[in-house]
Amino acid sequence: MAFDIDSSAIFPIGAATRTTPQIAARKSYDVVIVGGGVSGSILADQLSQAGHSAVIVEAGPGKDVQLDEYEAYLSRFYAASVKDNQAPYPFNPNARMPRSADAMPVTPQTPDDQYYIVQDGPFCTDTTFTRVLGGTTMHWEGKALRMLPEDFDTASRFGHGRDWPLGYDDIEPYYRQAEQELGVSADVEDQRYLGMTFPPGYVYPMRKMPLSYLDQVVARGVDGMRVDLDGDRYDLRIRSFPQARNGVPNPDYDGGKGYQPIGAISTYQVEEGKRCQGNNNCVPICPVQAKYHAGKTLAKALRTGKVDIVTQAVASRVHVDKESGRISGIEYKRYQDPSSPEHTTHTVHGRVYVLAANAIENARLMLASGLPSTSDLVGRNLMDHAYLLRWALLPEIAGTFRGTNCTGGITELRGGRFRERQAGFAVDIHNDGWGWATGSPYSDLLAIVDGQRKHGRDLRAALVSQLSRQLLLAFMIEVAPEPANRVTVDRRYRDPLGNLKPVISFRVPEYSLAGASFGFDLAGQIFTRLGAEDHTTYDPRDYSYVEYAGRGYSIRGGNHLAGTHVMGKTRHDSVTDPAQRSWDHENLFLVGGGSMPTIGTSNITLTLAALAYRSASFIDTQLRTEKAPAVISAR
Amino acid sequence: MENRLDQFVRLSALLTGFAPLHLLGTGMAETYLRATDAALPDGVLDELLDAGSLPSAGSAPPTGSAVPGAPAQPGGSALAGGADPDAAAGQAIFGDAKLGPVARALILLWYRGAWTALPQEWRSAYGASPRDVDHVVSAEAYQAGLQWDAAGAHPAGARQQGYGAWASPPAALETESAPGTTGVRLPRQAGAPSVTEGARS
Ligand SMILES: Cc1cc2nc3c(=O)[nH]c(=O)nc-3n(C[C@H](O)[C@H](O)[C@H](O)COP(=O)(O)OP(=O)(O)OC[C@H]3O[C@@H](n4cnc5c(N)ncnc54)[C@H](O)[C@@H]3O)c2cc1C
Ligand code: SF4
Repeated sequence: MAFDIDSSAIFPIGAATRTTPQIAARKSYDVVIVGGGVSGSILADQLSQAGHSAVIVEAGPGKDVQLDEYEAYLSRFYAASVKDNQAPYPFNPNARMPRSADAMPVTPQTPDDQYYIVQDGPFCTDTTFTRVLGGTTMHWEGKALRMLPEDFDTASRFGHGRDWPLGYDDIEPYYRQAEQELGVSADVEDQRYLGMTFPPGYVYPMRKMPLSYLDQVVARGVDGMRVDLDGDRYDLRIRSFPQARNGVPNPDYDGGKGYQPIGAISTYQVEEGKRCQGNNNCVPICPVQAKYHAGKTLAKALRTGKVDIVTQAVASRVHVDKESGRISGIEYKRYQDPSSPEHTTHTVHGRVYVLAANAIENARLMLASGLPSTSDLVGRNLMDHAYLLRWALLPEIAGTFRGTNCTGGITELRGGRFRERQAGFAVDIHNDGWGWATGSPYSDLLAIVDGQRKHGRDLRAALVSQLSRQLLLAFMIEVAPEPANRVTVDRRYRDPLGNLKPVISFRVPEYSLAGASFGFDLAGQIFTRLGAEDHTTYDPRDYSYVEYAGRGYSIRGGNHLAGTHVMGKTRHDSVTDPAQRSWDHENLFLVGGGSMPTIGTSNITLTLAALAYRSASFIDTQLRTEKAPAVISAR
Repeated sequence: MENRLDQFVRLSALLTGFAPLHLLGTGMAETYLRATDAALPDGVLDELLDAGSLPSAGSAPPTGSAVPGAPAQPGGSALAGGADPDAAAGQAIFGDAKLGPVARALILLWYRGAWTALPQEWRSAYGASPRDVDHVVSAEAYQAGLQWDAAGAHPAGARQQGYGAWASPPAALETESAPGTTGVRLPRQAGAPSVTEGARS
């Protein structure tokens, strides 16, 4: 179904709240989808466009993607005194989310039960995800890199990780679909490296975002820098990152048809958000919605009239028919008031079921439902990128704190033969300075006013000097799957609704730490070339402090959750088939990062969106061919 | 006679290094005056205002125009030369056991849009107001925080400057290459800091 361009940002009034549990219970849907994030929204959109009916069961409140509510998120963020990356969202114990501030050193065997994620260690992750309609894309940064061809068979090539049952060429057409939906700004000429290919004539929907002045200053030191590693030579340069935020449309897109950016989603026509304004607030919330969020896809799905949403509905159990192994319903707990644990329990039915609640929640729900798993891999192989930060002060004013959070970085060391020994990484240059590492600019202000007792013009001079010269390099390091890194549930730990909470055991693999150690030294060399003064310190008391080869590092979580229901070639060594269909339950699809056997060095969302498009075509076929009798709606 | 708001703005200019016009331009002066009054025991702000109005303090209100250059920047500094009477007045206030901490809280208020609670020793010695707790004055206040202007940037999530502006040299460099430039900078500058803690990727 085609939409006229002008209506593409319209959210149908009341669409997120019109379906009651009673109405939903009386219907039998073609597809029941758990989770209204980017994965769930793509499936709802694709399947409803193909004529199927769908219901989305969403844990968070429902009005949220309309502009008024979006503005409320913004005000809450501005007024919050602790501005961590969940600050825009109201506290909701019934659909609680992890916050980075929850992270603290763990004592294995006696985990802390006061937060949503129960951390069983030994490593404590500060990773987060968001449980509101639209999911974690409400708050992501929006980097949209493809995986490298060599990322799909790292086990065969490098002896690390797992091979995918698919290759780059199988996914490439779906990457293009995802790039269209997410609205990616990039230039093909910049992205054709380490074997990544594009069909002839392909251009991204929008032109690449310009490199920041800070990137350009760093490039003066980095471009032409040579690294020799395991017999391979790498000539480093600063390259722009593909980003899911609105830039300048490329007139050559789609064979010359061009591309129309989708701006702010609202129940009425607004002009906002058609182009990024560089106000550097992408995480946790873009004030003008120039950055993609799943509400954009969801609005499209809702306009088909074939999609219902039940909100404030936390899926609590997957019902399975013991004989056939088929799923027979999704049970959920519906709360009226986020501050009260009071709830009612309901079940929705359909022909095909999709879990799209993210890698941790999908596994948690499967395990809490006690579903059998032939491979015993549900919840295992949990992955998330490991971030190593290193920061310095440049000798000159570089205009830090302008532009989107990150425009450029180093990508040459994502791939190569060295991956037999150590993890690859991508390096981000942070336009938001040391904020992630030290709490800048506030920490600097305090140091200058309270510590150095400066005021007036001295204060201003000191601030400019301190802020505009900040350089932070963030190394996003590959983490390979390990069965012992896992999500489990434990009857002792429940949320206020009585749902079992996710328990996480995680260790940063040595392979990744070897990459971190190499990255640390590389950053040192870059700082030397730039004449920058290193200010990096890692506190041994830090919750995420790890030691490797005689040095200690703080490792930050990447929020790229994956691996908990890996896809593969057989039911014995994987949880889903290449279509993300459960090997054990033929009408159940487990969708999202959880299906990815490895994450390489790309932020996972573009890939999981591509996989969602791919699954949508399989589900469409399955719905059309399956003889399963549809119960006619009794509405 | 100067009214209390004018006095407050003049003192704030001395403390923050931004010109009175720039401070008035944020639209926050009255709100901050009220917030400061509420957070302090009676009479303390007036004492501070008086100290800020002493002849040595008022002789040369800061212009706050050009963004001062970074000392490490080659090619001369906008801070060149001359004794600064305001600096002296400010130092006197800063050195005062009673007024110093209040002056620092006021600077932080202007820079962050948030009140920072005074030290416990101060409250024991001079009295405590129930509003003397850490708090963001309002969503507008956060956006108007001078820290963004001082960094040659603007608040995370507000007063954005425009697509691609981040690719050109920052205002701090431009002002520097034209020494002697005066006049109040418009608040719309490029870029903006993020204050989020925790991961972003
Ligand atoms: C700070 C941050 C920055 C990021 N930056 C990037 C980036 O630059 N690039 C990138 O590729 N990725 C990034 N990510 C990751 C990205 O946001 C996720 O990969 C992506 O959102 C996952 O989509 P999803 O739909 O699978 O899951 P989610 O977006 O998490 O959506 C899951 C949905 O399910 C709902 N749900 C959860 N539990 C239940 C339940 N029990 N019952 C019913 N509904 C439920 C949730 O409310 C939510 O709506 C970032 C993440 C964070 C936190
Ligand atoms: S820089 Fe600003 S406008 Fe651009 S995507 Fe980020 S928050 Fe949105």
